[in-house]
Amino acid sequence: MSIWPDEKVLTPGEAEFDTVDMTINIGPQHPATHGVFRMILRVDGEVVVDCEPYIGYLHRGLEKLTEANDYRQAMGYWDRTDYLAGMACEHAYVMAVEALAQIEVPERAEYIRVIMAELSRINSHFLFLGAFGADVGSFGTSFIYAWRERERIYDLFEEVAGDRMFPTYMRVGGVAMDLPDNFEQRCRWLLGSIRQGIEDLDGLLTGNEIFVERCRNLAPMTSERAIALGITGPILRSTGLPWDLRKAEPYSVYDRMKFDIPWRPDLQGDVFDRFWMRLSEMYQSARIIEQCLEQMPKGGLVLNPDLPKTLRVENGEAYIRYEGTKGEYGVYAMSKGGNKPYRMKLRSPSFCNLSALREMVIGSYVADAIIILGSLDIVLGEVDK
Amino acid sequence: MSNKAPARSGGLPPAARQRPRADLAALVRKIGSIPFEVSETRTDVDVRIAPEHLLALVDALHNRHELAFDYLRNISGVDQSPEGMELKYHFYSFKTGYALQVTVPTATGHPHVPSLTGHYPAADWHEREAAEMFGFVFDGHPNLRNLLLEEDIHIHPLLKAHPLQAAEILQGIESGPPGFTI
Repeated sequence: MSIWPDEKVLTPGEAEFDTVDMTINIGPQHPATHGVFRMILRVDGEVVVDCEPYIGYLHRGLEKLTEANDYRQAMGYWDRTDYLAGMACEHAYVMAVEALAQIEVPERAEYIRVIMAELSRINSHFLFLGAFGADVGSFGTSFIYAWRERERIYDLFEEVAGDRMFPTYMRVGGVAMDLPDNFEQRCRWLLGSIRQGIEDLDGLLTGNEIFVERCRNLAPMTSERAIALGITGPILRSTGLPWDLRKAEPYSVYDRMKFDIPWRPDLQGDVFDRFWMRLSEMYQSARIIEQCLEQMPKGGLVLNPDLPKTLRVENGEAYIRYEGTKGEYGVYAMSKGGNKPYRMKLRSPSFCNLSALREMVIGSYVADAIIILGSLDIVLGEVDK
Repeated sequence: MSNKAPARSGGLPPAARQRPRADLAALVRKIGSIPFEVSETRTDVDVRIAPEHLLALVDALHNRHELAFDYLRNISGVDQSPEGMELKYHFYSFKTGYALQVTVPTATGHPHVPSLTGHYPAADWHEREAAEMFGFVFDGHPNLRNLLLEEDIHIHPLLKAHPLQAAEILQGIESGPPGFTI
């Protein structure tokens, strides 16, 4: 019914004039794209008809640079891929070189690596919670809550490695230096602070009906489709398939850790489930760090002492899969002798997850397209290499 | 939706561990009828096959229930000059837990490989990346434009013959050293 007596009432799907699709450009310099990502949306009214993503604005030639530097030098480029979790990227890189060169790592160093990688995962997921809350409309609040904990994690990284975002802390065969004396105490305090931070954000976002209603049933996805599109990580797990490389193909000391892959019977891979999955994973990461602190040898070497000054690797190839913060962080490494890798290829999880964006946003509203993009949690440093 | 935080603990058993490589090598050899070589890398079983037989092999890998490779992880080009270029495909099966690498060598001057986008939608961007970085041509790919590089720039930076600085010179960011030609 119309309030105006002479107005014609339209049935759904009927238009009284011809409409023309409109093309909207978003990015590359746009806060909602979380970096330098550009997409061109074709919209019919408010509904997205087509989406064309454009990437490459942050392409720095990672693979070419890695080929041009020796194994030690090249590592510095790799923590600039997923720059929210530099330690995890370094871990994957050194694992690839160690698999090629068959190098052993001291036990204490393995535990230190896992602690650092899991702290990075928490750090990265905090950024997601904060930024995603801002995407949906909590403005700055969730962002500031998330930043409080991220600052504390970065402070700890600074104390351990001397740098916050790009620590360059791992080494082929171990880590650069041992932990500071008060590390365990500080880390335990930090874990308490992190748990409080997650609960704060949980209450702020999951407890907010507007937030939940915005995200529920938005862009749901089946496990089969996600696999076909190459989606991994929290987004794949949010479809109900509990596949985590830390469990499926355990590396480092993950086979000694007790942790769960979050799961609910009603998971359907929608935007809310992706948010829920990352939120729940953070508790599991905190559990892993606690177990590492308990099981870690109290002293001993942190770097393999038998390494030569210049590492030369025999012919060989390896594909290392690593559960990065966004999904399967794969490193294909090939050596033909000498002190430089012949080929290093990064299979970046954000890149593959982003390639599914087009399919996800078609048919949704423009405002929802921004949320769907936010729920993919891309890092452009990793997409563009 | 209630205001309570959802339950946080997973109720499912841990996913199946990766299966032994020896079993997979035997299963792959059973495919027969297509010429290929099976070997091992440091981490995976490797199958080496010519580009003209690739689609038949992928059909078998994708459809045989004892292999059931449903997930294409990665495509990576390698410049093996002067012998030509190679493509490395990495597959994984969520159903059986096997992981496999497929190597496809191409002849110098003829880098044509059939596109896998029909079997695996995930191949789309991987193939576009390999095409721009190495100059591969994926026959049957619907949209083989540049992905990471500028759209009007037609260089293949990851070829060994391509100097490290040339891309910057082409874009006018840096002037070339004397005597440097592209």
